[in-house]
Amino acid sequence: MTAAASGAPAGAVPVPADPVLAARGLSARYGEVQALAPLDFVVGPGELVAVLGPNGAGKSTLLRAILGLVATGGEVSFMGSSLPRRNPAAVANRGVVLVPEGRGIFGPMTVAENLELGSWRLGRDARERQRRMGRVFELFPRLKERLGQAAGSMSGGEQQMLAIGRALMADPKILLLDEPSLGLAPRVMEEILETLGVLNRAGLPVVLVEQRAPSALKLAHRAYLLSLGRLAAVIDPREVQSHDQLAQYYFA
Amino acid sequence: MTSSPSTILRKAFPVPAQPAPRGRLAAVAPWLVAACIVGYALVAGGYPATVVGFALIYAVFVSGLNIFMGLTAQVSFGQSAFAAIGGYASAILTTQHEWGWLPAMVAGLAAALAAALAIGYPTLRLKGHYLSMATLAIGLIVHEIAVEWESVTLGYLGISGVPPIDIAGYEVSSDRAVLIMLSACVVATALAVARIRSSRLGRAFAGIAGSEDAARALGINVARYKLVSFLLAAAFASLSGSLFVHVVGYVSPEVFSLHMVILSFTMLYVGGIGTVAGPVIGALVVSVLPETFRSFRDYQDLAYGAALILLLIYAPRGLAGLFAALDTRRKP
Amino acid sequence: MSLQRSTMFAALATALLAGAQPAQAAEVLKIGISAGLTGYAATVDRAWRDGVQLAADELNAKGGVMGRKVEVVVEDNRSEPQEAVTAYRKMLSSDGVDVFISGCVSAGNFAAATMVAKAEKPMMLCSILPQQASQVKWAFTTLPPAGFEVEKRFEYLRDKTQIRKVGVLHDPTPYALLQKSVAEKVAGKYGLEVVDVESYKQDDADLSVQINKIQAAGAGAVIKIGLGGTTLTAAKNMKQLGSTMLLLTSLEDLAVFKPVAEVLGDRFFFVASPSQVFESLPDSGMKTEIARFLDPWRAKYGDRDPNWASRGWDGVMLTVAAIQAGKSAAGPSVRDQIEKIDGFQGTTGAYRFSADNHQGITQNPFVLATIAGNQVKIVQ
Repeated sequence: MTAAASGAPAGAVPVPADPVLAARGLSARYGEVQALAPLDFVVGPGELVAVLGPNGAGKSTLLRAILGLVATGGEVSFMGSSLPRRNPAAVANRGVVLVPEGRGIFGPMTVAENLELGSWRLGRDARERQRRMGRVFELFPRLKERLGQAAGSMSGGEQQMLAIGRALMADPKILLLDEPSLGLAPRVMEEILETLGVLNRAGLPVVLVEQRAPSALKLAHRAYLLSLGRLAAVIDPREVQSHDQLAQYYFA
Repeated sequence: MTSSPSTILRKAFPVPAQPAPRGRLAAVAPWLVAACIVGYALVAGGYPATVVGFALIYAVFVSGLNIFMGLTAQVSFGQSAFAAIGGYASAILTTQHEWGWLPAMVAGLAAALAAALAIGYPTLRLKGHYLSMATLAIGLIVHEIAVEWESVTLGYLGISGVPPIDIAGYEVSSDRAVLIMLSACVVATALAVARIRSSRLGRAFAGIAGSEDAARALGINVARYKLVSFLLAAAFASLSGSLFVHVVGYVSPEVFSLHMVILSFTMLYVGGIGTVAGPVIGALVVSVLPETFRSFRDYQDLAYGAALILLLIYAPRGLAGLFAALDTRRKP
Repeated sequence: MSLQRSTMFAALATALLAGAQPAQAAEVLKIGISAGLTGYAATVDRAWRDGVQLAADELNAKGGVMGRKVEVVVEDNRSEPQEAVTAYRKMLSSDGVDVFISGCVSAGNFAAATMVAKAEKPMMLCSILPQQASQVKWAFTTLPPAGFEVEKRFEYLRDKTQIRKVGVLHDPTPYALLQKSVAEKVAGKYGLEVVDVESYKQDDADLSVQINKIQAAGAGAVIKIGLGGTTLTAAKNMKQLGSTMLLLTSLEDLAVFKPVAEVLGDRFFFVASPSQVFESLPDSGMKTEIARFLDPWRAKYGDRDPNWASRGWDGVMLTVAAIQAGKSAAGPSVRDQIEKIDGFQGTTGAYRFSADNHQGITQNPFVLATIAGNQVKIVQ
């Protein structure tokens, strides 16, 4: 992992030299509306990158643009080769896995069925599926207890665990999360972020979109700050000493 | 199918495998009711046999519709078109070209699938309601062709004298034989739907039904599986159309009208959308119900409408869901 | 909740059981009607049903048929073939009807024809006959041949006008299609030429395109074949286009024609059946027969159009004549006896059936009429 040089001014945080995920001039539009102005975005090996910004800043759009769920400009490469555009299934097949905003769990299906769908790309390899499921249960023991329960009937925190667990079933090479803390109690949120830290320390690159900056910054190696669909700053979290300083970035 | 834990869950078809504790009676109940209705028609013959016979044909049609609308959560207003293609292919090929019923049925199936592919391939990739509109259009177009292509379809005059299905030299034309044959078709259809639902294919459908974006993010090719779902629905529609013309011996454009679409939607929602038993019990109840009110004469439609509203109030998830709810309530 | 369920079972069972027991038919003569009481055929078929019922009431008032009371069973087929199959089936197996005197939904009658033939029950229809020989064997119709309405109009054009070029405007129903092909075939016989044939849908709200084409083809008259509000639409379009063509329409409920006459005046003609122009008819056997029907009809329904009802009446009287001739209401006997009817005077004309002719009206009973000063006037 490449650490950002201490003392560097905001906006001049050094980027990893050998990124896993690299977007150059990535922009996105919904019909006629430009939702994301062209920006560069990189994630290094084993990095946890936070994407921060107020509501409507374009954070979710950035993730959707990487997946190719929206019309984009620019180029995205992953592990050395470029990712197809407008073909999210193919992007997912490369190991770029998204935990969508609002979790996107399949409510009427059971927990087990949700997890199974996560390992869609695996096909019929039951042994590997069991192995992955075992790994998910280690991280989220509670999911094992709820295996036969309809996913929609669980608590918000449990649903978020399921959403992450389902993404892990796809054996991601990089994990993108869109506001996993949304609507969760602080304690539950801490628990989930802790698990993300565990995953990241085991070597999984993570992109974490968050509105609640402080908790995300605790984990992040670097943070991108978006505002009104543009990149406002790239931050070294260790430089951010106080809430006031962060607020400065927000309103800069 | 994998041996993962989920396969023992959500069992909707009463295969007496594992003694699933609570869901079992709920799963069996709709089938028992269906069996009672069909059994009664078998014993009584005559007019009840005709009503139940039509209901069974509709059960095949609605089961197909359920794959697309229930399992995959898409909307199609044009399934009657595929029933018309199957029905007309059977009628035309058997009466005008002396084909056997089986090759004619298969040819109808192929034509229906080709039409479904032609309409589904371009539209299923688009977001929004393009598909629904396209399906509405194909329903109207096929109806129009049936009316206007007189040299082949005989227009409004219709094609009569379609021979009954014969199996190994035995002609299926008596009430009971027809009912038994149709019951076998419905059981086969239900087994197929149950199989599809618990298969990898069915899970892809369920994923799309749950959230298209989430399904995409997991690597499911949403457009492709929607198309597969659409083709399956068209196939069952085509088969039901062929069954209809062989059972009645006659086909005309009015048979496959918008009325058929409305009726099948009613059956799907009354029975329980997304379940295996729903389309079958829905088709039977929605067919039998208005007949029970026939003696009301001018108030028949009123009584039928009131009954439907009551059903939808007290069983918003359909009759199949109602049985499940009853079952849960008894053993809390 | 179990109460709710058992109530549902009970309702289903009761209804099905009630439907399953064929009522004893020894005391009564049961006439079954499959009619489109709702749907596109509603106007015609409700009139047909009322005509059948009126005839049954008259017969009962005179002691019934061979001592048996006449009972009419009506089932609504919603103008749909599938519903018609169910309706016929119910009347055959549950009501045990002796004969059918069914309405004008031809697709419904066709769809049920095989079943009725298998049950060996004769059916006297308002609609055209089915196509299969095995089905025609048990089916008869009171409908005049498709050519008669067209020929009456051609006769008028030949005898009373200088018009030699006509355009045909038709809807896609079987009867209209038959008439259209007759028109094309026989025009030459009347020294006429069909210069254009246009079709429309029963629910079309504008026919100016078709009328323009007919006019452009040089036609002096529009032969319109088909029922409903489109006649008024055609008349309005012709007036808007300033056309001088004549409009000659098919047989139809007289009520439809009054507004049309207001639009087109003396350029509008229509085919009428004898009962519609009763007052203008000369005294004849037919007029007496029409009066037998029309008196109770008017007593009950006032000036409601008698056309289709009168054919329903004829259907009953023909069947009853066959029953009395064979002294039996058994299907095969009635069927055989209807085939022997030769020269039965009905309200719509004289009926002659035979083994190879199941369409009883063989002489053109129609007249061509116009409305002048709110009065129906025969012109041909």
